[in-house]
Amino acid sequence: MRVDKPKLVIVGNGMVGHHFVEQLCEQQLNRHYDVTVFGAESLPAYDRVQLSKYFESSSADSLMLATQADYAAQGVVLHLGQQVNNIDQHKKQLTVNGETVLYDTLVLATGSFPFVPPIKGNDRRDCLVYRTIDDLEAIEQAATTAKSGVVIGGGLLGLEAANALSALGLDTHVVEFAPQLMSVQLNDRGGELLKQKIEALGLGVHLSKATQEIVDGERAQHRLNFSDGSWLETDMIVFSAGIRPQDALARASDISIGERGGIVIDDCCRTSAKDVYAIGECALWQQQIFGLVAPGYQMAKVAVSQIAKHLLDNSIVSPTTEALRFTGADMSTKLKLLGVDVASIGASRGFDNAQYVELSDVQAGVYKKLWLDETGEYLRGAVLVGNVDEYPNLLSQYLSGDALEEPAVTLLMADDSAPLALKDNAIVCSCHQVTKADIVEQVVAGNHQLAEIKSCTKAASGCGGCAAVVQQIIDETMQAQGLETESGICCHFDYDRQALFHLCQVENINDFEQLYQLHAKNGSSELALGCDICKPVAASIFATLENEYVLNENHVALQDSNDAYLGNLQKDGSYSVVPRVAGGEITPDKLIAMGQIAKRYDLYTKITGGQRIDMFGAALSDLPAIWSELIAEGFETGHAYGKSLRTVKSCVGNTWCRYGVQDSVGLAIALENRYKGLRSPHKIKFAVSGCTRECAEAQSKDIGVIATEKGWNLFVCGNGGMRPRHGDLFATDLSTEQLVSYIDRILMFYSKTAARLQRTSVWLESLAGGLEYLQSVVIENSLGLADELESQMHKVAANYQCEWKTSLQDDVFLQRFSEFINPKDAPLIDTKQYQYQRSQKFPISSEVETFSAVNHKLSTLGDIAITQLDEEEALV
Amino acid sequence: MNWVTICDEQALPSKRGIAAWVAGKAVAIFHLGDAGIYAIDNVDPATGVSVLSRGLLCEFENELFVASPLHKQHYSLTTGRCLENETLSVDTYEIKRQSGKILARLLA
Repeated sequence: MRVDKPKLVIVGNGMVGHHFVEQLCEQQLNRHYDVTVFGAESLPAYDRVQLSKYFESSSADSLMLATQADYAAQGVVLHLGQQVNNIDQHKKQLTVNGETVLYDTLVLATGSFPFVPPIKGNDRRDCLVYRTIDDLEAIEQAATTAKSGVVIGGGLLGLEAANALSALGLDTHVVEFAPQLMSVQLNDRGGELLKQKIEALGLGVHLSKATQEIVDGERAQHRLNFSDGSWLETDMIVFSAGIRPQDALARASDISIGERGGIVIDDCCRTSAKDVYAIGECALWQQQIFGLVAPGYQMAKVAVSQIAKHLLDNSIVSPTTEALRFTGADMSTKLKLLGVDVASIGASRGFDNAQYVELSDVQAGVYKKLWLDETGEYLRGAVLVGNVDEYPNLLSQYLSGDALEEPAVTLLMADDSAPLALKDNAIVCSCHQVTKADIVEQVVAGNHQLAEIKSCTKAASGCGGCAAVVQQIIDETMQAQGLETESGICCHFDYDRQALFHLCQVENINDFEQLYQLHAKNGSSELALGCDICKPVAASIFATLENEYVLNENHVALQDSNDAYLGNLQKDGSYSVVPRVAGGEITPDKLIAMGQIAKRYDLYTKITGGQRIDMFGAALSDLPAIWSELIAEGFETGHAYGKSLRTVKSCVGNTWCRYGVQDSVGLAIALENRYKGLRSPHKIKFAVSGCTRECAEAQSKDIGVIATEKGWNLFVCGNGGMRPRHGDLFATDLSTEQLVSYIDRILMFYSKTAARLQRTSVWLESLAGGLEYLQSVVIENSLGLADELESQMHKVAANYQCEWKTSLQDDVFLQRFSEFINPKDAPLIDTKQYQYQRSQKFPISSEVETFSAVNHKLSTLGDIAITQLDEEEALV
Repeated sequence: MNWVTICDEQALPSKRGIAAWVAGKAVAIFHLGDAGIYAIDNVDPATGVSVLSRGLLCEFENELFVASPLHKQHYSLTTGRCLENETLSVDTYEIKRQSGKILARLLA
């Protein structure tokens, strides 16, 4: 007899509701429950904290936390765009669209809604709120005709919204009722500095303004009339005056609600109704609503552990977790608002009898204040504006609850060179509540990469602000274990690729033996042989720095086997040949020539994903002849064997396409020709699309360019392959000159700093500071490297040569293509044999299938039989 | 097995490999200057393909190896053992120089 599994229903698919499902699946509780989720929005869970990023790409893709397929893969049923109308807590059932849904356990994660102050005229046209992607679409729509915008509310979310309006090109103003900005987190002086900084960016800030009514404007759509008689005109308005718990469903179902709203929960996140939990911004714990994501995630964890315990009590499942309790949450935050760093910790606005230490540097635009208890021994709170370097240290000190060991003022004199002294229980990632001990445990277990730590602990996968600290903990832990931190690339060198690159550049080293004698781990050695890891790395570094002929006598023994023979070695010992077809554009004559050459040498041909033609099965000894014929027809090497630029894929662009807005093929050819000689840490792929339809799939490439009406949008660090990654939007509406100078800088910075065989996608994720850091280096020139990077790339481009062309003039090189040094002693039989399938040759050791289930068998008899049958039917 | 003459010494490239025929078998020969000349089977036992002469030379703890260009297993130039898989090995050959010629024979 089949026993139905108990039913677990979650109402709400925001960040907290999603985190609950994630935790549930991690504990494998989805095996024991039929899990159903109802979300009111039309999209599955997305990252609301990063909402303003939506405007960077005008797409929700980069914000998505999960897809419907992800849910299905876990066996969780997700209904989107569904409003739950009623809960019957006695019958344990819900009503959704008139249908009844039963539950055994119910979790309410309904979140909150934006509070719109009861101002006359607040329902006028283009009076909007800022919470969902639908809201953002409405804001974007309104901004297409608006010139100016006002945000009502100068809190954290209000400033985020102002950032969005400003990014949309509107003349932006913030109107705040209180006499300062961010009055929950900052004190008056911190708020004042923030105001100055925001005004310096060209935004208007209006404090102590109570809006009385919104009426028709004279020069803009609306006029806001303030209680002090002043007024402000604007075309659109965004309300961001706080949030209210979304408790309507619980309220209508007689579940206990707090006096000022919020579903009352206990320490186990239970509501007043049996087997009904509430988590996140809709929940009221000890008279508090928590409007941040981190406490919501804690509640989700607590609820999951309580449900697990419930199962355990019914002895369905063995214990994997102890039941947690919610004990309140630390509301400390660190964020960047409109480019200004702001942080607050604990009692950031002070308290009675508090002592304090204050630092105010108007010149540098920095304000910091520490609040200490009345004895001055314990840190109770902090405000940081303009520079938040001390945040991790201060937070650790605050959370530890320990007495200060040194005078408080030393906490504000952070010494960059001193290691961060975090306690084991210090929370490193406040988005996911990951402690230092959690990270150390995973590092000891063998996860040494930041990306690995991100995926197994979730640390640094929320806002990402703690990435640098996490990296530091990884390094410290590995050193404590006596492990070499990431540094040594192999047993011969203690340096990582970046350090070796630096040494070669600074000391002008252009020779492996010299590098070995000067910098190898065990000192110099007569042989200086190295290994198959350090030699190709050195060769790649020399090539990036000088771009000399890769097979000159000094370097040939260093090259990886593909580079050493300028071909891609295949499984049977033969090679493939790939001439460059820049941008995928090829003349019929060249196409014919290539076909004739392939036919002459009996090569298997296939069109690659990068829009060129790969010819397989060339014998080592045939390579020089094949290439001299190709070069005579005007081809050059395609570097398919190198860790270097492969292809620049393109769509046909505006020269032919009805939709194209720019010449994508022309740009693709120019880019391919500029970067074709660059040797880099790993292969690099580009694409250029001529319009936003994106036929060239540029967002899956290391460098992706998409044409706009005004210029080019640049996407970086995308990746197909084993671990696909969408490229990040790096900059918009660039001129061709700007585009090329940014790509120069990005690729050269990557070539200088990436680890061995690190694709750009992993490189970007491993950069502390990620995309923003890369933008600051490339666009704002924060390291002052821009000129050097560009001139280095000019040098690479200027020194380009077709390696096959050079090689064919080099007799020593050509000798290497005789397969044997004593060919006359060779046995007569050819050891390589081929089979022929689908009219082409394949290695004899390969199984070539023709999949008859897909292809109709070409059986003559069968064809006749069918024809006869058709005729008979026709006759009837 | 008798000594087989392969080629002139000066024909051998330095610090990298070259393939040769020795008594009907393909052999990879590596000339490491003063550190000696080594010869092993050219066929990579992991794949059965004749490519070891095209691999990169390596030194680990004073032992010389060649990395197979196909899947990067390392084979010792002196013992023929495979570093990654003890069930794999290649034959090694003795080399001598004689009046400017290179001669090889299978090590017993």
